[in-house]
Parts: sequence; C-alpha cells; structure tokens
Amino acid sequence: MLYWRMETSSSMTLPARAGAGPDGAGHLSGTISPAFEELFRTEYVRVVAIAHRVLGDQAEAEDVAQDVFVSFYRSHPANAPYGPAWLHAAAAHAALNALRGRDRRSRREAAQALPVDAAAVDDPSEVVAASETRDEVRAVLGRLPERSAALLAMRYSGLSYAEIAAALDVRASSVGTLLRRAEDAFRRELR
Amino acid sequence: MNDTDIVRALGATEPQVNTEDALTRFRARVESEGIAGVAPAARRRVTSRWLQGLAAAAGVVIVASALTLSGVADSVLKIFEPKSVVAVPITQSDLNYLGQACSGLNLQDCMGAYGTFVWTTPPQPKEVQSRSQASAEAGFAVQAPTAVPSSVTGDPRYGVINRSSATFTFSADSTRQAASRQNRTAPPLPANIDGSKLFITGGPAVVQIWGAPTGHSGQGGPDIPTLIVGQAKAPTISSDGVTVDQLRGYLLSQPGVSPQLAAAIRAIGDPSSTLPVPVPAELAISHPVTVQGVQGLFVGDNTGIASAVIWQKDGMMFEVIGSFTESQALSIANSMR
Repeated sequence: MLYWRMETSSSMTLPARAGAGPDGAGHLSGTISPAFEELFRTEYVRVVAIAHRVLGDQAEAEDVAQDVFVSFYRSHPANAPYGPAWLHAAAAHAALNALRGRDRRSRREAAQALPVDAAAVDDPSEVVAASETRDEVRAVLGRLPERSAALLAMRYSGLSYAEIAAALDVRASSVGTLLRRAEDAFRRELR
Repeated sequence: MNDTDIVRALGATEPQVNTEDALTRFRARVESEGIAGVAPAARRRVTSRWLQGLAAAAGVVIVASALTLSGVADSVLKIFEPKSVVAVPITQSDLNYLGQACSGLNLQDCMGAYGTFVWTTPPQPKEVQSRSQASAEAGFAVQAPTAVPSSVTGDPRYGVINRSSATFTFSADSTRQAASRQNRTAPPLPANIDGSKLFITGGPAVVQIWGAPTGHSGQGGPDIPTLIVGQAKAPTISSDGVTVDQLRGYLLSQPGVSPQLAAAIRAIGDPSSTLPVPVPAELAISHPVTVQGVQGLFVGDNTGIASAVIWQKDGMMFEVIGSFTESQALSIANSMR
C-alpha cells in the first residue's frame, strides 16, 4: 500500500486538468495576476524560441506561444512550481502538432518567411541552401518520434539539460543519452 | 548534412520578440474571450515528488488504521493500537465506489466525504543522509535488511516523517452530500456519531528506498524502486465517545460497500488492535506468514511482479515491498536488524 501510494505520486506527470487547478485553486476572472505576468515575461521568449525551432516561422511560433500561455492560464496557478517545465513541453508539442497539421499553403508561407531569418546571409545561394535545409529539418522533425523532436527543439533553443529533464519528465542524467539518440535518429531520417 | 548543418538548421536565428507587446495581446485575448485564470496556489512545503511520495506514505500509515481504502472505517475506538495485521479484500466495485465518493484517492478529499479532516501536526517528510541520522530524527533504532537479493544494489535513500496527528470530525451533512453526489441516499448518521471526533496519531516513520525515484520517470532508466522498507511507530486512534461497534455498524451500512467487504471487516476479531490492509481482490493474493517470530501478512499481485510483507512487532509497523518472490520477500524481512 505504501508502494502504491508512492508510485501514484511519483508517476504523476505535469498536471493537465482543465477547469480546476491543482491544489483546488479557484478561478480568477478579469485581471491577470502579477504572478502570471511575471511568468509570462520570464518564459515568453523561450516558449517562442522552442516553437520557432520547430516551425521556422516567427509569427506562427508566437501564435503557438499565445495558445500555450492561454492553456496554462486556464488550468494552472501561475506560481505552480512546474510552470516553466509545463510551458516548455507544451510549446514543443503544440508546435509539432502545428507542423504536422500544416497544409501545402502554410508550407509555402513558411518558405516565404525564410529570408527574414536568413537576412544575415548575404549570398543568395546561401539563402536558398539555408531555406532548403530548414525545410528539410522541419520535415524531419515532423517524422521523428514526438519526444525526440521535442527534445531537439528544446535543446537547440537553449534549454539546459535540467530544464529539458523537467519538461520531458526524465532524469537529468539521461538527457545527454536521449539527445544523442535523437540526433542520430535525426541524421538517419535525413539520409 | 553534417553536424554543423544540424546545428545551423536547428539553432536558427533567434526570433526577435517583444514580450510586452505579446503580453498586451494576451491580455486583450483573455478579456475578449472571457478566459478565466486559476488563482495562485499556496506554496507547498514539500519540494520534491519523492518527498511528496513520503507525505502520501505518511498519510497511509496514519489513516490506514482509521479508514480502509473504501473510506469505510475499519476499526475505531477508544484506543486503537494495532498489534496484528489482516488482509481485507477490496473489490473493483468497492474501488469504483471509492473513486466516486472521494473525488479521487486524495486522502483529505476522501475523508471529507464523511466529515472534516484537519491535520493538527501535518506530516513533513524530509530526506536524510544516513540510517543513523534517520534513527536520530525518528527517535527509534531504524532497522535495515542485512541480506538482499542481487537485484537490489547501491545505497538506499532515507526519508523521515515526523510524528503527525489529525482530527477527524464526523458530519451528517458531509455524508449526505457525498451520497447525493452519487445519486444515493446515505443512512442517517446516528446522533452520537454526528459531530464526534477521532484523534489520530501516526509516526514517526522512516522509509528506506533502494533505486529511489528521482522524481522523473522517463526513458533514461527505471524509476521503480527495487526495494522499499518502511518502519513506523504504530498509529493510534482515540475517540471522544463513539465506539468501534457503533462506527463500524454505521459505516458498513453506507451505500456502495460490497457485502464481501462488509463481511471481511466484520470478521475482524478485535478491531481495536488489528490493522486491516486493503488488498485488491481481483489483482492480488494475500495470506498470513510468520516473520520475525510474529504473524504478519504477505501480499502479492497475481502477476508476481510486486510483493509485500507487513508485520507489527514491539509497537512498530514494518513493511518490505519490492519485486520479489514470497521467499525472497520473507528473507529480506527476516534479515531486518
């Protein structure tokens, strides 16, 4: 019985119940709490960065980020200790969902947005090469297992191993191994 | 594509975002769509999931003697102090009833279905670095197995839970509301039970875990402990008037309590000194065993994946849990010194 209780607790993943926050917190209507604003200011850039790694389009990444913060706002207290980890994971998964749901038109739009990201590259041939590479990268991310793709998106957007571990609910000591596996899978998919 | 290309592709140019503009956009959306947020939660003292697990364990240690898993009182009384343990089979329908009655298995919510549960001294688990430190914190000599199977490796982690106490006040209103949430009608709470109190104490307790979870359960390795050893001062319960028989009779008459469960609880010879251990009837087996020279209880799941030995000796409750055969579990239990 002790074991059962401990497993129940230790296997808990990021709380995701809608409508009522963990700890039975009530709902607020109207103004956004200072705690939420602080969380938003602290994490918004990184949430966008994660989504941007997956989507390659800033406007789309910011839309995903807004949706992610709305989801969190609806269901979780702003000062929840798991807040940043939840947001990072949600950003990766929401962006991957968006990536997989893209139709041909959105892919064309994403391609058109590339020169903005590649503005620092002077040589047009490099711009084209960079564009093709990023298209390929996104296609591969869309084919990888969800967690591998999320891990790559988080790592290459600058999250630390500890932050990735918290977001993916794995041991920090395992992140390096998981990352290498994800990179290997990424390379295989490119061949 | 080589590694440099991957880095270049994945490590694309940082997006230039304006956080304040984004926050303004967020505020406007929340307002226009009428989105309600969740109020900030009170900060928890427990800082890791592992310690949260210990808190849950403390709750079980303390309350297992007051209510069985079905939320039914097993044994209450003037003074309750378990001197033996007995298995009480819980059926799936009992568990279903519990889930409905308790809004989940949260201890406080569950007991809230029958009244008001208040920690007077809440369990505050903490991790310590050694057995001697655990003994010093708990105030008793912590025992440890002197022989373990080869599957158990490394050093254990030690958790200590302070002596805790709680008061539970029966409430006819709460009971009615809990029944009505399930579209059932509860039998009226006898006047002498309504408002009566139980005073529950438990612990200190020490939990030793080999292969202790780090709080993450991922691909990087198994987070399932290989061995858990629990030791606690036996819980005690006192009441301000209601007797064991009165309480047991009333709670067994609650809707949703299966006849099998009721019979098993009624069969407990001396409820004031017997700790009932809920055992899922369809999933586990259990039978009495002799351990450390006293009668204990072996509980194993039908697949043989998990097993436990539970016993009481010299005022202490002990548990050995892991993925062992019965003989392995008993060997570990008997090697405790």
